[in-house]
Amino acid sequence: MFAFGQQKGAAPRSRELPAGLADRVRPTTPVAGRLLPVPAPLAPLFPDRALRRGTTTTVAGLPGHGATTLALALLAAASQAGSWCAAVGLPDPGVVAAAELGIDLRRVVFVPHPGSGWAEAAGDLLPGVDVVLVRPPGRARQTAARHLSARARERQAALVVLVDHVNEWPEGGDLALSVGAIEWEGVGRGHGHLQGRRAEVRVSGRRSAGRAMECTLWLPAGSGVVAARAEDGPAEGEDGPAEGEDGPAGTGSGEGPEAA
Amino acid sequence: MELERLVVVWCPELQQEGARGEEARRFVQVVARAGELCPWAHPIRLGVCALPARGPARFFGGEEMVVSRLVEVVGEDAHVGVADGLFAAVLAARARLIVPAGEVRQFLAPWSVATLARPELAVTLQRLGVITLGQFAALPSPHVSDRFGADAAAAHLVARGESGELAGIRDRSIERRLRVARGEDPDLGSAPPPYQPGFFGGASAADTRAALSFARVQDRLGIEAVLLGRVQGGRDPAEQATLVPWGSPEAGAVPTGGAPWPGRLPAPSPTAVLRVPRRVEVVDAAGLALEVSGRGLLNGEPARLSVEGGPWQDVTAWAGPWPVTERWWSVRRRRARVQAVTADGVARLLCAERAQWWVEALYD
Repeated sequence: MFAFGQQKGAAPRSRELPAGLADRVRPTTPVAGRLLPVPAPLAPLFPDRALRRGTTTTVAGLPGHGATTLALALLAAASQAGSWCAAVGLPDPGVVAAAELGIDLRRVVFVPHPGSGWAEAAGDLLPGVDVVLVRPPGRARQTAARHLSARARERQAALVVLVDHVNEWPEGGDLALSVGAIEWEGVGRGHGHLQGRRAEVRVSGRRSAGRAMECTLWLPAGSGVVAARAEDGPAEGEDGPAEGEDGPAGTGSGEGPEAA
Repeated sequence: MELERLVVVWCPELQQEGARGEEARRFVQVVARAGELCPWAHPIRLGVCALPARGPARFFGGEEMVVSRLVEVVGEDAHVGVADGLFAAVLAARARLIVPAGEVRQFLAPWSVATLARPELAVTLQRLGVITLGQFAALPSPHVSDRFGADAAAAHLVARGESGELAGIRDRSIERRLRVARGEDPDLGSAPPPYQPGFFGGASAADTRAALSFARVQDRLGIEAVLLGRVQGGRDPAEQATLVPWGSPEAGAVPTGGAPWPGRLPAPSPTAVLRVPRRVEVVDAAGLALEVSGRGLLNGEPARLSVEGGPWQDVTAWAGPWPVTERWWSVRRRRARVQAVTADGVARLLCAERAQWWVEALYD
């Protein structure tokens, strides 16, 4: 007992390290360094409020339901923070849309046509970039999926997999985002223009700590960015968005293009 | 997958390095002279150097011109050929041929399976009576990968003209060997070719790591496989942005981005801009085909659409038409754009020229 007390007493002295040395003995991977930022409206979807390095996140949604928008949005804040990102297998990437989502185009490479080499290309990129978004051409082979997830873990990169249905990624992700019901705003029968897509996004997966969560997001809102619903943010267990209570952010009035 | 069109210069005399290293020094000259025609000329292995065909062909007025210029400037006994994908382009060079785009498979068919440089596979195949690449290509892919493994499956893709890259075509130490031949420090810059020098005012460790990984993908899939997006002015979704190969001179240019451009559709922009627009039929409630008049007006309301002969879908909401009159100084084209949302919630950007409709972009 006494001996412990003495050691305790000695402890403060050992803290008086020269400032330079204290800097050098810091953990090389601070916790914050293991996280890659995501745009604020998407933060509530993640247990860490950010993409965790080394994990696999699947983004699923039927064609046209905004899964591409959601997946690209996951690159936005990371690329702005200076991380290199890659998008493999998006055949015709909408570069303007990517820029509107807030992606720093100088930090994102596209590999639109990897063909049957998509998994190899993604595997080549994982050691070099922080976030790899990959769209497999169909259901991924188990071996390819396992290999890529393992490589992401080993290289401490974040892997984002874009699929039509979550079953198409046989491994299952650490976190699974899926887009459910959607509704477009701003367009009528012959007037207005597409302004925003309200989408229900569900979160589940190993790393969501067992809590399945649902929220409603603008994928995208009127200015092209993703946004949370205006006042309430992510709503747990709420049944769908109420009608017409909150228009999409950004420009109102459907006046169409500025000139013809 | 579209294969990159390549010009290959093949110098049979320079393939083997002799005792005095003369061949490597002469090959350095070959690469340098080819590089004067096109800055993208890169050595593949000793005696073989490749350059992308598209740019120089546009500049010199055709692939034939590029080939004859190369034969002229290289100054060695050089065989030059053009084809889609590296593997076919090397064979085309050996045969001094220009293989028309899209005809790789037919071109490869009569060559022996031995050209794949896989002796064991070639012997096995020949015992089975499979002698040419054409016969090999005709085997069903799942059987090839089951029976012969992944490397043979890669070779099979090459034989089918679906891939141009085969392990072993590229000599990974060639840059180093040429640096030795030039009398430079071989280890200097064995860190990746600084494709983007000073892009952000000096490369960090992360940039170097990223550059290495991009170079690996380019090795695997071709130089034009890794692209950077650039936003520029334009009305069309397709004009507003370009994709430029990572490492190319254009990639270093400062994006102008964000300039207001009259006539462009307001945000949000489509997340998929189709390189090849898809044909779509659009009809009104009575089932009559919709048309755009010379004044950019529709002759009815879109009620249903069918993409490339697919099932008819109800149009639940639409906006437009926004008339587009472009290039009025040369060709007068009257076009109009319509945003259409179908019952399944999918939003598309359609473009019509008279009665022909196209899907230009998707909002996914």
